[in-house]
Amino acid sequence: MTDLAIDIRNVVKRYAEHVAVRDLSLAVPRGSVYGLLGPNGAGKTTTIRMILNIILPDSGSIQLLGKSNRDSGVTDRIGYLPEERGLYKKMQVRRVLKFLAELKGVDGAEAEKRINYWMEHFELKTAEKDWGLSKIDELSRGMQQKVQFIGTLIHDPDLVILDEPFSGLDPINAQALKDTVVQLKERGKTVIFSTHLMDNAERLCDSVCIIAHGDKVLDGAVADVKREAGTRVVALSVAGEARDAIAPILADRSLVSRADDQNRYYEIELATGADAQVLLQRVIATGAPILRFELVQPSLHQIFLERVGAKGVEEGMSGQG
Amino acid sequence: MRKLGVVFKREYLERVRSKWFLVGTLLGPLFFAMITVVPTWISMRQRPGNDLTNIVILDATGTGLGARVSKILGTRYPSVPAPEAKTLSPERLSVAEDSAVNAVVRKEINGFFVLDSNTVANRYVRYVGRNAGSISDVDALMSTVRQQVLAQRLEREGLDAARVTALTGDRLETRKERIGDKGREKGGGLGNLAFAYLVAFLLYFMIVLYGQQILRGVMEEKTTRVAEVVVSSVSTDTLLAGKVLGVGLVAVTQVVSWVGLSLGMLFYLAPILFGKMAPEAGAAAAAARGLPTDAITAALPTLGTSGIIFAYFVLGFIFYASLFAAVGAMVSSQEDVQQASMPVMLMLISSVIFMGPILTNPGSPLARIMSLIPFSAPILMPLRMSLIGVPWYELTISLGGVALACVAAIWISARIYRVGLLMYGKRPSFKELARWVRYAG
Repeated sequence: MTDLAIDIRNVVKRYAEHVAVRDLSLAVPRGSVYGLLGPNGAGKTTTIRMILNIILPDSGSIQLLGKSNRDSGVTDRIGYLPEERGLYKKMQVRRVLKFLAELKGVDGAEAEKRINYWMEHFELKTAEKDWGLSKIDELSRGMQQKVQFIGTLIHDPDLVILDEPFSGLDPINAQALKDTVVQLKERGKTVIFSTHLMDNAERLCDSVCIIAHGDKVLDGAVADVKREAGTRVVALSVAGEARDAIAPILADRSLVSRADDQNRYYEIELATGADAQVLLQRVIATGAPILRFELVQPSLHQIFLERVGAKGVEEGMSGQG
Repeated sequence: MRKLGVVFKREYLERVRSKWFLVGTLLGPLFFAMITVVPTWISMRQRPGNDLTNIVILDATGTGLGARVSKILGTRYPSVPAPEAKTLSPERLSVAEDSAVNAVVRKEINGFFVLDSNTVANRYVRYVGRNAGSISDVDALMSTVRQQVLAQRLEREGLDAARVTALTGDRLETRKERIGDKGREKGGGLGNLAFAYLVAFLLYFMIVLYGQQILRGVMEEKTTRVAEVVVSSVSTDTLLAGKVLGVGLVAVTQVVSWVGLSLGMLFYLAPILFGKMAPEAGAAAAAARGLPTDAITAALPTLGTSGIIFAYFVLGFIFYASLFAAVGAMVSSQEDVQQASMPVMLMLISSVIFMGPILTNPGSPLARIMSLIPFSAPILMPLRMSLIGVPWYELTISLGGVALACVAAIWISARIYRVGLLMYGKRPSFKELARWVRYAG
């Protein structure tokens, strides 16, 4: 038995007009939370669909939990939340969930039990109201998303694949989702999700893979990725009126390769060979009152921008959640 | 196989549970009763009515032919007064005709017969009237006139008048009997015609109705994006098969309920409708009133025939349903449905267009060809074989062709379905469709 939940080797997917995924290899360890990061159109959804055997790769192999992803026994152990949510609108909530559970091989009585558990867990079934008897289209969007999420987990999958799970979630639901992901990990499940929201990825993921234009840019454990990127980043904050005074220093390309204004502080990337101490002295010399000067590991967002570059952000990258 | 069952169960139960299924199942027999019983009932009331015999006979023969015709029509339709026979000389005929035309215009009468020397010479009879275009009306009147002209000629040849009446008075009717491959079969009458029509119409109706349900179901799965969740658990082939079989069984359930309810209505309601009597007496009364009960039972098919009709339904449904499913997978919006389903609808409609000609002439080359073409055979062959005996080799070729077409339709549709289900946006061109079919290996 392999210790990899997902083992993708040299997968290629071409469409008539373009290459969606180019020679991609991925290794997702069991029991980890894995982030698939990339701008829109990078090939994340295509990759996920190939993992799920919804579309076939042109070449390469995909193994899930040690078996081919075409093995129907494997399919039943995977939970999938697609990017575009959708359920049968005219169907009763409980019947939809039961249908999804039975598709995954859960028998009827067991499915009923689990539906009760999850409906209560997500507060869709309370003393006042049982939404399980309503039709899907009578539910609010937030509730529909909860139902969809229950549908993903109803068969207690070993591998959970979430495509852009945070898009369209309000803060409360987003928090509930994060909590659930952590719980899944604690129970030894593997979770892989795609996102372009780096903050979420940084907080949740053990490992990440960044892809852009169908190519893998980097992958590995988040800690390693950040260590490799080095402590070349300084968080600097000065009192508001002194911002103009330090502008020339930030513009000095021999010292600062990039300064990212985060409003309350600057995330500064030092130029190669530059010394953080020199930067500190120059800032002190301006007489600006320093509120914060900290050598930090770069955020995933920083790494992402640096490695993917502006070209990767062109197609509607919506920032840093 | 288990997953097929799950998909099948959902498709079946969700549809059977719906309000519309219940309404359709309950109202169906009423609807069919409306379109079959009501016209029969109306025509039964109407046939001996004054419509037909509210005419005038202008007799310029000088032989009393007009009076004879009038008398016979009077006895044949006793509920209304016999038509008036005016005896006149040939010279006054044109004047009388003018005034009769005026009477028709004023709607006092429906029309008039002109009997003159040409009639006596066995050449022609003229009928002038509002219903001159109605073949059945004129035929009914003409048979009486013809009979009386013959009777008169026989009398003139010296036969005794009473004997002539006795000899010519019988009305001969045709009792048809069909011969099939195994010899004599029951049926062949009017009941057969009605049954054949009903079967063909029902096949067409169910295929259109439930084929479109499949189309809408696929489109719903596609546009609501449920499809993606489902196909991550089952293969598209299984999904398609479960859908077609599930909806197919809904159609069968509906027809069986209809037949059951209709039979129930026939046994319990017919006596109430046709006289408040016990069922047996009601049937007798219905027969007495000319309801073709014999014909109805005679028209009911044998077990073998029913089996073949059912086979046509199953194959025809699978053929059209998988095509409709492919159309559903092709389109992303309601606006595209009409156009995209046009080719499939054309095949169905072209079958229906030929229902009339085949009904009147089920043995014609047209009927034979149309009942062999795979896309029209499922509707037209059951129609044809309800009317006449179809040789077994034609049946075999026809059924085999439909089965082959079925396999081809499933093969193509499954491929279009597989690709189309996750493709959003513009409706594909034929070129793109061809590529889908090729590359969805």
